[in-house]
Amino acid sequence: MSRLSDLALGTKFALSGGREGWTRTLLTAVGVGLGVALLLATTAIPGALSKRDARDNARNDFGAGAVSVSSADPLLIGRTDTKFQGKDIRGRLLQPEGPKAPVPPGLSGIPGDREMVVSPELKSLLDSPGGALLRERLPYKVIGTIKDTGLLGPHEMAYYAGSDALAPRLTTEGDGSGVTQVTGFVDKGAQEKIDPVLALLIVIIFVVLLMPVAVFIAAAVRFGGDRRDRRLAALRLVGADRRTTRWIAAGEALAGSALGLVLGAVFFMIARQFVGDISVNGLNVFPADIDPDPLLALAVAVVVPTAAVGVTLLALRGVTIEPLGVVRNSVSRKRRVWWRVLPPLAGLALLVPMAGRGRDNGTFNQVQVVSGTVLLLIGVTALLPWLVEAVVRRLGGGGVGWQLAVRRLQLTSGTAARLVNGIAVAVAGAIALQMMFSAIEGDYVKRSGADTDRAQMSVPMGEIAPERAARQIRALKDTKGVTGTTTLGYANLGEKPKDPDHSTDMTVGGCAELREVAELPSCKDGDVFLARGGEYSGNPIPAGARLYVDPSYSDRRGVALPWTVPANAQEVQARPDPSGYRRNGLLVTPGAVRSVAKAPMRYTTYVRLDPRDRQAADRVLNTATASDPLTAAYSLNAYETSNRFAGVRKGLYIGATAVLLLIGASLLVSTLEQLRDRKKLLSALVAFGTRRTTLSWSVLWQTAVPVALGLALATGVGLALGAVLLRMVGRQIVVDWLPVGAMVGIGAGVVLLVTALSLPSLWKLMRPDGLRTE
Amino acid sequence: MIPEGSLLVARDLHKAYGPTPALDGAEFSVHPGEVVAVMGPSGSGKSTLLHCLAGIVTPDSGTITYDGRELSSMPDAERSALRRTEFGFVFQFGQLVPELTCVENVALPLRLTGVKRKEAERTALHWMERLEVADLGHKRPGEVSGGQGQRVAVARSLVTSPRVVFADEPTGALDSLNGERVMQLLTEAARSTNAAVVLVTHEARVAAYSDREVVVRDGKSRDMMMEHTV
Repeated sequence: MSRLSDLALGTKFALSGGREGWTRTLLTAVGVGLGVALLLATTAIPGALSKRDARDNARNDFGAGAVSVSSADPLLIGRTDTKFQGKDIRGRLLQPEGPKAPVPPGLSGIPGDREMVVSPELKSLLDSPGGALLRERLPYKVIGTIKDTGLLGPHEMAYYAGSDALAPRLTTEGDGSGVTQVTGFVDKGAQEKIDPVLALLIVIIFVVLLMPVAVFIAAAVRFGGDRRDRRLAALRLVGADRRTTRWIAAGEALAGSALGLVLGAVFFMIARQFVGDISVNGLNVFPADIDPDPLLALAVAVVVPTAAVGVTLLALRGVTIEPLGVVRNSVSRKRRVWWRVLPPLAGLALLVPMAGRGRDNGTFNQVQVVSGTVLLLIGVTALLPWLVEAVVRRLGGGGVGWQLAVRRLQLTSGTAARLVNGIAVAVAGAIALQMMFSAIEGDYVKRSGADTDRAQMSVPMGEIAPERAARQIRALKDTKGVTGTTTLGYANLGEKPKDPDHSTDMTVGGCAELREVAELPSCKDGDVFLARGGEYSGNPIPAGARLYVDPSYSDRRGVALPWTVPANAQEVQARPDPSGYRRNGLLVTPGAVRSVAKAPMRYTTYVRLDPRDRQAADRVLNTATASDPLTAAYSLNAYETSNRFAGVRKGLYIGATAVLLLIGASLLVSTLEQLRDRKKLLSALVAFGTRRTTLSWSVLWQTAVPVALGLALATGVGLALGAVLLRMVGRQIVVDWLPVGAMVGIGAGVVLLVTALSLPSLWKLMRPDGLRTE
Repeated sequence: MIPEGSLLVARDLHKAYGPTPALDGAEFSVHPGEVVAVMGPSGSGKSTLLHCLAGIVTPDSGTITYDGRELSSMPDAERSALRRTEFGFVFQFGQLVPELTCVENVALPLRLTGVKRKEAERTALHWMERLEVADLGHKRPGEVSGGQGQRVAVARSLVTSPRVVFADEPTGALDSLNGERVMQLLTEAARSTNAAVVLVTHEARVAAYSDREVVVRDGKSRDMMMEHTV
């Protein structure tokens, strides 16, 4: 028979081999299907994020990028982004200045004054009892919903509200009004070039996530292998030679993997429908966005069945299938280590020459990075069987459970290593990534400087009259959940009444308020201080200088009130305000600026909240929005994270979770399969009085020993890969043991979970029914 | 009527698997050192009778008394302990643990009772010598023939010096020559230690090694010797 007909025969066996044959084929197909679905999903992620970015770009309404369309009428836009219960809400107030004003994507028209179009997610929140507080903040009439084209994802909360107040505000306040005028959206030049370090991270994340999936698929095509080998022995009896049985087995794997491709596509389509319901750290896309690249999908369709045939042929090299239903492992040769160290060494040889390139703003050769990383991780899968064999050969002693486990491992160390390979590769990759994240975190996650002990919110008020400011401050103080406020006023000073050459800031507040921004030795109303050591030094103002408060500029008319810096003004050291900003210029108590007290000024109120009142922040935002719909009030955070870095991290978390769950499922299937194969033996062991706990311990040890070795190897390879990657981006090699320990702990947790889930099955199989033959 | 001095006695045993009755009023007894063959066609309930007698399954009704103790009312842990210390088992396919060596397999029941490994393996080797398989000590079950494996299984059943050995079709997977040798060794060894043997078989050739035959049919038992006596 030719190899093709052998393969065809194997395929036929897989599909017509009765209940057992079907079960085995289905098991392989489900395993491969899960892997294929994950592969398709992973290959679809870049496209999904790019579609999401495209929609974000298409609604861009600020900055230099917003296009100018000469034929269109202007549209006035006020940004009213806010948060509710910590979740972001994108908000825009709109006022068209003509019938041809551009309409934002996802809207059929611009809502009228005090009308609002909302995203479906925001609508359901507003309609729910939990949205009562938010309804106070958005007192507009809902007239429709934003279509998908105007949203980043189905869970995005967004609204567009009409407002006739924007035009008058722009007229009176000009640039400081917070109102922008656009004649089109779409930011043509907004595509930021991704920096080489982040690009490297993304490439590594893909390799690290896809490698365990490949390892998992290789394991899945061998599900039920022991039973199949016994079945194939019957074929030997009727004259099939060893080569034929191997190709028939490969045919069975081929059928399983082909069915797996179909199931994978089905799983993918089903999972895609639920993608819209999943939101990880606020990242959420539409099901339609998850669309795998056709070329990559084709590659998956070709590579998976081919790999299934290859893996089966390779696996059967070490098994001699004899007639009479006897399967004996061929004389076990000691595994050799020399060729197993070659892939990781080759990987290092590819990666090490790129050391330091990231610092010089150079780019990394992606093929070299991917090949090097893949080879290093393949090193884990190559070295693990040798390591498990070498270690378990030396193990002995212990109780019956330990002895059963160790002897089992000595007999089938390859199977054990194969099961653990996926976890080991995932953990090695994750450790390397965690090292990189920890090292470059400082670049992307910064301390904002905000002191959240002194205040938890900042409410800037724009340039308003003192009476209005007083009302707003009073409203904030009276808001439930507010325990205190600190308000500072700001004005601009120039040396000339019009178009001054130099300007400086004047901060106005009582002694207590000024102490929030500078170290004051003594203070009483009427005092003036010259703050030094601020972030922007500017020109030092001498005591006695004559200045003009709110000078006029060519595009803006100010009140230009003359004011003289008192001769006794003291120099003081600036300190960061609650938001972390260290200011320069003049610090003035109200008694020293009575002449300018009636002039409009910018104000900022720092708000302290009752930590036990979880709705306090939302009430403050309600109060601030009621006073000024365009308020930029925000909560103070000690850390600021770069959005792009946060996105990369989110991607890693999503992928790592999916991969570990998949590998856990694979481990569970294999463990259950092994147990089922030993049903009779387990019953016999029970017959002569073996305790449940003894066998449970043996199952645990049998999984735990190879996993412990796998995790040890993974830690070594992960640290090596992490060190090389850090050298590549020119960083000092520092190991943060906490994430390393966490990754190892997660890997170990998967094993414990699998053992725990397999125990009920073990106990069920330990019933005496297994001894019945009739 | 149950003969006096019985070690293991079963009365009016009933056991059903779902709607199918396996035992329907079966009776049984065995004396120390006696070899009793339980015979019957496939599906007659003979293996179920053995499993009930060994405390592996509990009957739906009826009583089993072992050495004056009521077996069917014992909790599972107590029955397991009894199986570890007082009973031995031989199954049709040996059911040796494939990853353990032959000597470790034979030593396993002792180790389950808490005997130290070296001591357990010393005793195991002694029994393997008696069963003529001492040279297989460090081989795994997959590396020995069916007959050798079954002799290892017999050694395992005797290693704890049990008072009752339960053998379920112990020669079912062997050719006649190997089967006879296994039976010869099993019965000789059991008689030398005064252990009772409950031997389930459907082969008259194997039953010939017994002192007495009990035939099970449709879940009911008939003691052939007692019928002859009557």
